[in-house]
Amino acid sequence: MPSILIADDELHIRLLLEQTLEELEEEGVRLLFAADGHTTLEIIKKERPELVLLDVMMPVMSGFEVCHHIKNELQMDDVYIIMLTAKGQEFDKRRGKEAGADIYMTKPFNPDEILKKARDILGM
Amino acid sequence: MFKINLARLVLKEEVSSLVEEIEKLTKASVLIQDANRRAIKGEVPKEPAGKYPVMLNGKIIGWVCGSRNASVIASYLSQLAALEVQKRSLGRETLEKYKELTLLYDLSEKLSERLSPGEVAQLVIDETRKIIKGDDISVTLVNEETGLLDIFTAGGREPDPAADLGPLGFFVENVINTGKAEIVNDVLSDPRYGSSGGNINSLICSPLKVKDRVVGAINIASKKPVSYSAEDLKLLSALAFQAAADIENARLYNSLKETFLTTVLTLAETIEKRDPYTWGHTQRVTNYSAAIGKTLGLSKLEIERLALAAMLHDIGKIGIRDSILLKKGKLTTEEFEEVKMHTIYAEEILEHIKHFKDIVPAVKHHHERYDGTGYPERLRGENINVMARIISIADAFDAMTTDRPYRKRLLLDSALYELKNNAGTQFDPVMVEAFFSAYDSRNILPKVD
Repeated sequence: MPSILIADDELHIRLLLEQTLEELEEEGVRLLFAADGHTTLEIIKKERPELVLLDVMMPVMSGFEVCHHIKNELQMDDVYIIMLTAKGQEFDKRRGKEAGADIYMTKPFNPDEILKKARDILGM
Repeated sequence: MFKINLARLVLKEEVSSLVEEIEKLTKASVLIQDANRRAIKGEVPKEPAGKYPVMLNGKIIGWVCGSRNASVIASYLSQLAALEVQKRSLGRETLEKYKELTLLYDLSEKLSERLSPGEVAQLVIDETRKIIKGDDISVTLVNEETGLLDIFTAGGREPDPAADLGPLGFFVENVINTGKAEIVNDVLSDPRYGSSGGNINSLICSPLKVKDRVVGAINIASKKPVSYSAEDLKLLSALAFQAAADIENARLYNSLKETFLTTVLTLAETIEKRDPYTWGHTQRVTNYSAAIGKTLGLSKLEIERLALAAMLHDIGKIGIRDSILLKKGKLTTEEFEEVKMHTIYAEEILEHIKHFKDIVPAVKHHHERYDGTGYPERLRGENINVMARIISIADAFDAMTTDRPYRKRLLLDSALYELKNNAGTQFDPVMVEAFFSAYDSRNILPKVD
């Protein structure tokens, strides 16, 4: 069963993303959640989700650190990482690329775009 | 109503662990099934079992089979399902709001580029189409000069003179006059239309208001019988609120820009008037430069800056004495050195004005030569500001095709030949090529008497 990890410290963003991806859940995709960087890393290691929606600013470990760890140290190239961060932090984009994020999206994100991207990645 | 998948609910970690906890405490296991009696969790209990339904809004969504604890677990799951529905409906509502927000955010993002009111109207039409169904979306703006209504339809940046609101005109005008939005879901039977409703079935129209002033309206009409809802109107009003402010801003910005450009041109022409021979030179160099820029594929904004630089290219001549500027004979070396100073004077004048800072290099270096033998800094090749390289050709071409105190103008063919001949020495060959391509497509029209 394919899975998607939603990693954001803000509850309302987690809920919004859950709602955004709800129709995929209906089709059998498992949605996983994490509210800090450390938990995010643990879940990725254990569950190897196909897709991670990764917030940049998270407690314990930032999204960059998590991403860097996953892509470089653990070499988990099959985990697709979408970095999410607040608008106006354009310099983050470069850091995100350096950390190995596959793509980068800014908040406020467009829910339809996220859903479409998730479908592409999961091939659904 | 939302469908609740009991299996998904039960298999959530926090739910399944709680069920297991109850099983442990009561020392009895249960079997949870979906509405079709397919097992979700657990095994058929050994003890004689009762069956208890899991209910949601009076419907059975699953079963719990077991002994003494089964009814408790069934009612616990029923409550969870009800909570889940509540959470989902809140989630969906929040998502709708969020989409609305993203929409407005996108719109204001796109609008941060400087646009004309017509372009803003286009954006508004495009964004409206994304949120509300309709065959015919138009933006109507009150023309400040004529007091008439300008109608913008999809795909046009200028008001469409052929557009006619037809029988809808009455409603749109009414919305503009009263400043109140309106939904009409059965146009044909509305007495205000009489028999002239045409083939429109439903319409929704929201005024564009800046403070208390109505500047126009967004109008959506549908040929198919649709029922526009209060929710649609709310969404449209939110969009209209943003759109009205942006259209007003675009109007103010454009009129400010017009005033500014008129001032600059007047200034440039004042200087030009000292030298009757160069009459119209500024305007022509501006036109030629813009034409070259367009051929090169510069953006709208870049062409605007290029035109401004071209307008001001000789501004530094304000510091050159009449005896030299208007001299009929050949200039001495010293006099020519003084004329060269106009590029430096221009820099000194323009660099103090914030709005001109970015065009200083374009003005200062329009006498540099591609081979590095020009002035004031003997810059070479691509080190010369790209706009300066464009203005250089436009300037030279106009100088050659007009009379000067010390010589008659060249024949057009000779002037064109000179440009071609000096590509790579005086001029950037790429720019010369762009000049000819603009010339061939008749975007450069030299002065002819």
